[in-house]
Amino acid sequence: MTDMESSDLNRRDFLRAMSAATLAAMATGAPRMSRASEALVHPAPRADACILLWMAGGMASPDTFDPKRYVPFEKGLPVERVMSTFPAIDTVVDNIKFTAGLEELAKVMDRGTLVRSHVQPDLGHILHTRHQYHWHTGYVPPQTVAAPHLGAWMAKVLGPRNPVMPAFVDVGQRLEGHDEKEEVKAFHTSGFFGGEYGPFMLPFPQDAADAVRPPKGMSPERFEARNRQYRELVLRGPLGEHGSGYQQESMIRGMENAYRLLKSPERAAFDLALEPRKSYDEYNASQFGLGCLLARRLVEAGSRFVEVTTEYVPFEGWDTHEEGHTRAVKMKQSIDRPIARLIVDLEQRGLLDRTLVIVASEFSRDMMIEGIPGSAAKDQSRAVSDTLQEMRHYGLHRHFTGGSSVLLFGGGVKRGMLYGATADERPCVAIENPVSVIDLHATILTAMGISPKTAFEIEKRPFYVTEDGKGQSVDALFA
Amino acid sequence: MNANAMQTMVRRLVVAVAAVALLAESVRAVEPVDFAHDVLPILQQHCAKCHTNGRYEGELSLDTREAVLEAGIAEPGAADESSILERVTADDAAIRMPLEAPPLSADEVDVLRRWIDAGMAWEGGFSFRKNTYEPPLKPRRPELPPSTTGVANPIDLIVLAYWQEHGIEPPPPLSDAAFHRRVSLDLVGLLPSVAEVEAFQADTAADKRARLVRRLLDDRVAFADHWLTFWNDLLRNDYAGTGYISGGRKQITSWLYRALVDNKPYDRFVRDLVDPQRESAGFAKGFVWRGQVNASQRPELQFAQNVGQVFLGVNLKCASCHDSFIDNWKLTDSYGLAAIYSREPLEIHRCDVPTGKIAQAYFLFSELGSVDPQAPRDERLATLAELMTSSDNGRLTRTIVNRLWDRLLGRGIVFPVDALASRPWSEDLLDYLAVDVSDNGYDLKKTLELITTSKVYGSQSVAWDPAAPVEEFVFAGPAPKRMTAEQFVDAVWQMTGVCPQETAQDEVFGEMLCYATKGAAGRPFVRSSLVESTLLMRSLGRPNREQVVTTRPAEMTTLEAIEMSNGQPLSELLQQSASKLHVDHPDWSAEAMCEYVFHSALARPPAQDELARLVKLAGTPLTTDGLADVLWCVVMLPEFQLVR
Repeated sequence: MTDMESSDLNRRDFLRAMSAATLAAMATGAPRMSRASEALVHPAPRADACILLWMAGGMASPDTFDPKRYVPFEKGLPVERVMSTFPAIDTVVDNIKFTAGLEELAKVMDRGTLVRSHVQPDLGHILHTRHQYHWHTGYVPPQTVAAPHLGAWMAKVLGPRNPVMPAFVDVGQRLEGHDEKEEVKAFHTSGFFGGEYGPFMLPFPQDAADAVRPPKGMSPERFEARNRQYRELVLRGPLGEHGSGYQQESMIRGMENAYRLLKSPERAAFDLALEPRKSYDEYNASQFGLGCLLARRLVEAGSRFVEVTTEYVPFEGWDTHEEGHTRAVKMKQSIDRPIARLIVDLEQRGLLDRTLVIVASEFSRDMMIEGIPGSAAKDQSRAVSDTLQEMRHYGLHRHFTGGSSVLLFGGGVKRGMLYGATADERPCVAIENPVSVIDLHATILTAMGISPKTAFEIEKRPFYVTEDGKGQSVDALFA
Repeated sequence: MNANAMQTMVRRLVVAVAAVALLAESVRAVEPVDFAHDVLPILQQHCAKCHTNGRYEGELSLDTREAVLEAGIAEPGAADESSILERVTADDAAIRMPLEAPPLSADEVDVLRRWIDAGMAWEGGFSFRKNTYEPPLKPRRPELPPSTTGVANPIDLIVLAYWQEHGIEPPPPLSDAAFHRRVSLDLVGLLPSVAEVEAFQADTAADKRARLVRRLLDDRVAFADHWLTFWNDLLRNDYAGTGYISGGRKQITSWLYRALVDNKPYDRFVRDLVDPQRESAGFAKGFVWRGQVNASQRPELQFAQNVGQVFLGVNLKCASCHDSFIDNWKLTDSYGLAAIYSREPLEIHRCDVPTGKIAQAYFLFSELGSVDPQAPRDERLATLAELMTSSDNGRLTRTIVNRLWDRLLGRGIVFPVDALASRPWSEDLLDYLAVDVSDNGYDLKKTLELITTSKVYGSQSVAWDPAAPVEEFVFAGPAPKRMTAEQFVDAVWQMTGVCPQETAQDEVFGEMLCYATKGAAGRPFVRSSLVESTLLMRSLGRPNREQVVTTRPAEMTTLEAIEMSNGQPLSELLQQSASKLHVDHPDWSAEAMCEYVFHSALARPPAQDELARLVKLAGTPLTTDGLADVLWCVVMLPEFQLVR
């Protein structure tokens, strides 16, 4: 026994245990790019990283980025007269107005494009998670194979920008502790690509550093000692005795990658405590604000795709079933500064040009009284009334898939541009340049340098990044 | 209103109407061409007869994209320079293709033109050349190679002859301890205890391996607990998940668990699922999603897909939307099977578009018999169950024995396990095992016994290269398998005594336990297959069972490794385990503790060097933290996580 104290084994020694042939075979079991895709010419990338800011639960565009006729609350007011519950405000771009409560975002509108004509299929009335699945994967559930999340496509096709960093990070969504957790899990996945491309879940941005440091209560010295003995046991054990095998090699490689991240300087990117006090004030210290701050740090350190969500929990956040107006006031407070700050921050650091930032939601909302306060969802239709009686009914409640707003910044999209429009009277559907989920995805993918026709073979058939390879990039959005 | 304003208004109105009509899909000037849906039908109708699949008139093959390029008849990106277009549009009937047949319509020509202009995309791997292998449907009783001294198991006879033919040196036999670990994990999912392994090693009886196999198979509870994982994956049964709350999905747990305890003959097992009773109806019912779904995913088609995949190794997913272009299944085949199950007339949809045709109920393999489409639903399902389990249906038995072989030997005789139309590496072996099942009254435990008592199974494992072409695979011995999430978690619980006190459904599992053991002592601890999935199990590959899962990932991913390195679930479990071990054995030295953990986990005592390293971590005297680190090092070893 010679070197029980010193670990003279470096990464290369450790990985040497794997034969070149099986290293090449790592992606086995995993699907291969379809032959047609190999011949595809991918568009030149306009962005290297992508941040998706997800407004979970259905953000009403008439109360945010697409103001309609404002009518203040009044007892007895006919419901049908209410189009927006906020007055319009100016932005720095002449022909673009927002609603009150988005003053900070109004100041950065000249850095991006506003699409007001995003449309979704109607998948049923109370189906947030089905719409979210559709938006995040491009496929309407159910599917015969598990569809990969958009972030998993980027991780699979483009890989991480820095090999130490997880390519796909998801910030702010808990997968446990609420009624629709299984439905939410169903699309937070790399699907048939296999777990290597799945989301690195960071439900609480303030605790992100814990995800990349030794387990709670374990000192760095103990962690290091454990790892040292572990490596020695692997190397000096009967490795290869009964045929080494690709499974074993994946374990060695996975453990080594994990150790590398947990020891890397890049892991500081996960630690919000290293951020100066000033940043907290600028981003505001809401969960979502911290998520935006974390996204900026992760992109700086080399992540490919980061999603930050206001978090989907049934009946919370943007999922307004009563108190629609007052909830919208709060939600706007929680997103206005962080998003605006993120854009400026990326710009000041010279990252905005090569980072595509998207703000989107599963659908919009329209006015309707819905819900006896405190009642279960299934009872709500019985509470329909034609006039407003209580303030808590004032606000946009009804799901609306005919026209919603999406913001795009950086990554080669036009600056200060307005695209598409919705009707000024009900139904406020997209009346100009409607953009479907599949085409919006094609646009995002094109910006990232991935052809919308890219496909992987699964169960001997091609599975396209946009359904049947038919997504068409809205090139008018690009500068 | 002036003319301009009027025009603008009209235009806006038109657009508005269009937008309302097309909320789901954006309006596009030109639809891009899709090979599978647009081009292939044209090639099939007009060109395939004379220029594909072995018949190459004018020495022209259109089998693959490469063949088309080689022939020089099409220039991707330049339809105008492509002679194929000249030939199909020629005025002179003597040179216009197809010869002596109606010409292509203008629309069809336009599709070809746009397809070539857009780069002539081809479906990955698609060839008009038909797979030359025709899988047999009926059972076949292969002639066994002549018996040689000391070889009686038919598997050994067949495989030894195969190895001789392929010049493969048989791998040496596995040691008794390694065999005990492998067969115990394979048949009941549990590690053998140190004492059991030592007693087994000391046993000098010649038939000790066969007796061990029988003992494991006779442990009805441990067997059911273990195989529940396999069947839950296959039948997409779970205790929680999408659809259960809204009633869109139904469990079959009590039926399934009882079937496993009783070792229900496989033909009756399948009949119960295809022609279900109340308790087993959840599988056939499928997943009723709220809201609209694609026509290919309505419950009746899920029934067709799942019955095809799970029991027959037939993939009907393509053919649920359009005629498959990877095999010969047609859209009507999928709908035919779906219509047997359907309560109402089922309209055929092609690519989610209604065709106006009503599906005619029939079974995929008409050679086995027919289903009367006019008969009431109950009768149709009963007939389907009869046909599926008829002794002439060799596909049913081949599919299940192949799955069992895959579980035990690490790779199917037919690979992948859901593509039973592919050539097996040994037809004799597959056919023998399949016939053996029906000979034995569909007793799957007998098949497991036959396999695990063979010398082939009892030999050392040999790695295989999953990246190599499937056709070139040569079986050289059992392959290592990765532990399932359930095996991993059970092993830790088993070694340390830390485990949950309740199952996901104590009424079901408790009642079954009494039934299985006739009230005698039951299981030593609650197994992980009986509880809802945890974060730890998810990260170790326990699937969310929305789709049928027939194979789990064999590789560890980086995210999993991070989770294993610092995630709360594993570190808390190991910390608790260390405390419990420490409390339960207060007088054990660090050496004794490390020896116990290592030996239990790997079925071999640690070498001196290994023990010294573990003891160093454990601390002198032993600390709980140190012991948690020892546990971590041992359970993270590939040697632990592989069954080999």
